[in-house]
Amino acid sequence: MAGEQMDPSLVQDFLTESNELIERLDSDLVSLEDAVDEAASKDLLDGIFRALHTIKGAASFLAFTPLTTFAHAAEDTLNRMRKGEIGVSTEVMDTLLRSVDVLRGMLDEIANSRPITEAPGDLMQGLHALCEQAAADQSPGSATTTEQTAPADDAAQPDHSKRLSLGPEKADLVEFVVADLHEAANEIAQAAAEFVGSDHRDEVAAELVKAAEGLQKTADFFGLDAARNLGAAIEAAAPLVGSIPDELIDEATVRLSGIAWLIRDQADALADGFARTWPIDTLVARLKTVAKGQPLSPDIAGRHGGVAEQLLALDGVTQSGVSTQPPQEAAGPATAPSITTEPGDTKDPSTAGGAQSRGGSAGDRGSLAEQTIRVEVGRLEALLNLVGQLVLNKNRVMGLSRKLRDHNLPHEVNENFTGAASDLDRLTGELQVGIMRTRMQPLAKLFDRYPRVIRDVARSTGKSIALEIDGKETEVDKSVLEQLADPLVHILRNSADHGVEMPETRVAAGKPEKGTIRLTAEHQGSHVRVCITDDGKGLDREVLGNKAVERGLVTQDQLAAMADEDVFRFIFSAGFSTAEKVTDLSGRGVGMDVVRTNIAKLNGTVNVSSTMGHGTTIEVLIPLTVAIMPAMVVGVGKHMYAVPLASITEIVKPEDADLQSVMSNQVLNLRDAVLPLLNMRQILNETDSQSETAFAVIVGVGHQRVGLVVDRLVGQEEVVIKPLDDEYTTGGPFSGATIREDGSVSLILDIMQLIKDSQTPQRAAA
Amino acid sequence: MTAQTTDARSGQTAEQNNEAFSATEAADRDQLQLVSFVVGKEEFAISILSVQEINRMMKITRVPHSPEFIEGVINLRGRIIPVMDLRKRFGLEALEDTSDARIIVVDVAGRVIGFTVDRVNEVLRIDAQIVEPPPTMVSSVDTEFIQGVGKLDDRLLILLDLERLFSGEELRQVDETANRAA
Repeated sequence: MAGEQMDPSLVQDFLTESNELIERLDSDLVSLEDAVDEAASKDLLDGIFRALHTIKGAASFLAFTPLTTFAHAAEDTLNRMRKGEIGVSTEVMDTLLRSVDVLRGMLDEIANSRPITEAPGDLMQGLHALCEQAAADQSPGSATTTEQTAPADDAAQPDHSKRLSLGPEKADLVEFVVADLHEAANEIAQAAAEFVGSDHRDEVAAELVKAAEGLQKTADFFGLDAARNLGAAIEAAAPLVGSIPDELIDEATVRLSGIAWLIRDQADALADGFARTWPIDTLVARLKTVAKGQPLSPDIAGRHGGVAEQLLALDGVTQSGVSTQPPQEAAGPATAPSITTEPGDTKDPSTAGGAQSRGGSAGDRGSLAEQTIRVEVGRLEALLNLVGQLVLNKNRVMGLSRKLRDHNLPHEVNENFTGAASDLDRLTGELQVGIMRTRMQPLAKLFDRYPRVIRDVARSTGKSIALEIDGKETEVDKSVLEQLADPLVHILRNSADHGVEMPETRVAAGKPEKGTIRLTAEHQGSHVRVCITDDGKGLDREVLGNKAVERGLVTQDQLAAMADEDVFRFIFSAGFSTAEKVTDLSGRGVGMDVVRTNIAKLNGTVNVSSTMGHGTTIEVLIPLTVAIMPAMVVGVGKHMYAVPLASITEIVKPEDADLQSVMSNQVLNLRDAVLPLLNMRQILNETDSQSETAFAVIVGVGHQRVGLVVDRLVGQEEVVIKPLDDEYTTGGPFSGATIREDGSVSLILDIMQLIKDSQTPQRAAA
Repeated sequence: MTAQTTDARSGQTAEQNNEAFSATEAADRDQLQLVSFVVGKEEFAISILSVQEINRMMKITRVPHSPEFIEGVINLRGRIIPVMDLRKRFGLEALEDTSDARIIVVDVAGRVIGFTVDRVNEVLRIDAQIVEPPPTMVSSVDTEFIQGVGKLDDRLLILLDLERLFSGEELRQVDETANRAA
């Protein structure tokens, strides 16, 4: 299969799955390093091993050789860790984490259709060295203890089964073989179904032969004799089935479905480490008889009633009346039901508690897989767009229904129409919520990456830091999640690098040696609140203030009047860093500016609070979704514009006395603060000049506040944000557009851009 | 369609069938299907394949700080698209009576954009052979937007090159001019 033209969707699936697994690898590895409980660390190791193994298997199937080779080396090391030959140490973890980075790089290369770079030689050597060292440490005999996947419970063996003893290499492959068997069973079941009423029995027979061949190979590999014999029986019978008389078709197909059922049963049993040993001779013999076109004796023929399970009892494979779970399908097409309690399964699920249970976890994953499907984001976006239009149309219908009330229509008609309209209203609302929910993803997707981030900072600075995460199950819109990723990394790095002190300093200050950073998330109305709290040295108002004055951001007098919180906000200014030295991690004064900008783009806010010597808390408040936001609609000249409510601090109607001119710029005196005013009519090129200054909408981003002078206030609305991304329409101070109830378009003002623009000419003049 | 016609003439020889087939195909290939419209005093045409839809005039929301010939944006079933004023683009005066005016929405290399015209004339097929390269001085329109000129019995059709008309290259020039002015 390898080397053939690869199906791009196959590669895409591989990338999606592998990337998800890699995400988890990172956090699992870090948790492993910290794990104290032996059972927990064993679970983690198994999980890590499985993830890597899955990636390796899929990569080898798709012939990504460098990736396979490398994953194999890493897997070797992990396998030895599972056996306890290699202990968990910081050095081992460094090597493994670096391996994860290399794997990620390789996946990136595949995603961008670039050739895969071979893994760095020193890393490969490092992995090999770990294994060799472990091998040397082990006395030759003791390492060969059968590392078996089956739980060591001494429960009675299921009927018609024998326990398989597999070498470690084969044990690794169990999952794949289980999947292969399921696939073979499905193919056989499907072929059986197609026989009925098919005009192309030859083709179906050929498929059947192919499936049977595959089944035999798989079964042979694991010594599953019964399964192999069944495969051989099918292979022998299939070519003949093509020409048997119609009245015997039923007898043949029901036996084929029966075999499919048995294979599935074997697959499930294999997951628990058992090989089935059913008496299948009668079944095979009867299949042969039918395939030759000879009728069965009347007391057997037709007794199965078309149900595979009855047939199996009839042919003596299983005992009738035994509490076997009947397979829910007859000769119908394979629907791959997950038969969780197979016949004779005696395993008590409660015993699987802390102990390793490969079968159990495979089953869990199976049922999960059936409950979720992957959907391209583009399709969801298209749906969301349709719902948006539906909402607008619904609004029009609602408007019409209100208007109709004023006309002289028969009461009944009016009543019906209003009823229909309000039903439409309710259903559209539910639909909208439903579609929005499909785009929600748990913050865990981000949060799980951070233990690694903190670990790396701690390693390179020599600090000792614990990251506590809470509320990672909180869900936000996909696009919010994506845009939140960078800001949170910056904040966390900052907390770890600048917040938490060196161990000796901490001890001297009477704090525990290990610093703690808490990352928490929770819903707060239509917002999500993410808090990053460290127990470090806290922010120094004096140092920050002096720096701000030095940089000309404020005057001494202004500084004296500022609240602590506003002074702390200076950390978000571009190029503002109080770190004495720039490190790899932070200190260049860029990071926190990114935080502010990205959060503002999401219409969110950031707040800082800090106590000297006790730590700093950074609070990020972001809306659940970026598709809809509350806004204040204002009128400027003849047009309406939307101002994001999140950036509005207040709205005032200034008196003449409050207005002043400073260097030809208008300013507003607001409770002792002087705010620059932006004349929106001028900025938005509104020619129509009719009224005096009507309202000043005070907006702020960070500590910068300005007043937007507008003519009218229209009201607060929930607006649906649409991109304004054509090259003809970008460049203005707009973050997007929105469609109003009447179908017309209003532009959404980009407050950041407005503030930035207002500062540029001043700087040019200076 | 071709297959049906040849099948119907089952009496003919295979060779004749082939001839008939290639003739029809050639005819298809050399036909241009166009939408023609009027801006100012001239009649223009664009390939029907690039036209998404033709709408009556609707409320266009002005976008400050966009190029002067951009009339604004409209809501095209939930999508916000820019609308170009072709009269302004061609340096003509604004139209007084807009009752026949239409917005033609086109898809140019995946970019959906609308432009206003005085009125839409018809959908027509013309022979590709009658389209000639643009002469240097053909109309009030800059020749760089012109793909060719089609001579019909009594009229002249100017085939517009939409990609050039909406190209970023040309937009940047406009930007630069604006910057220099500022």
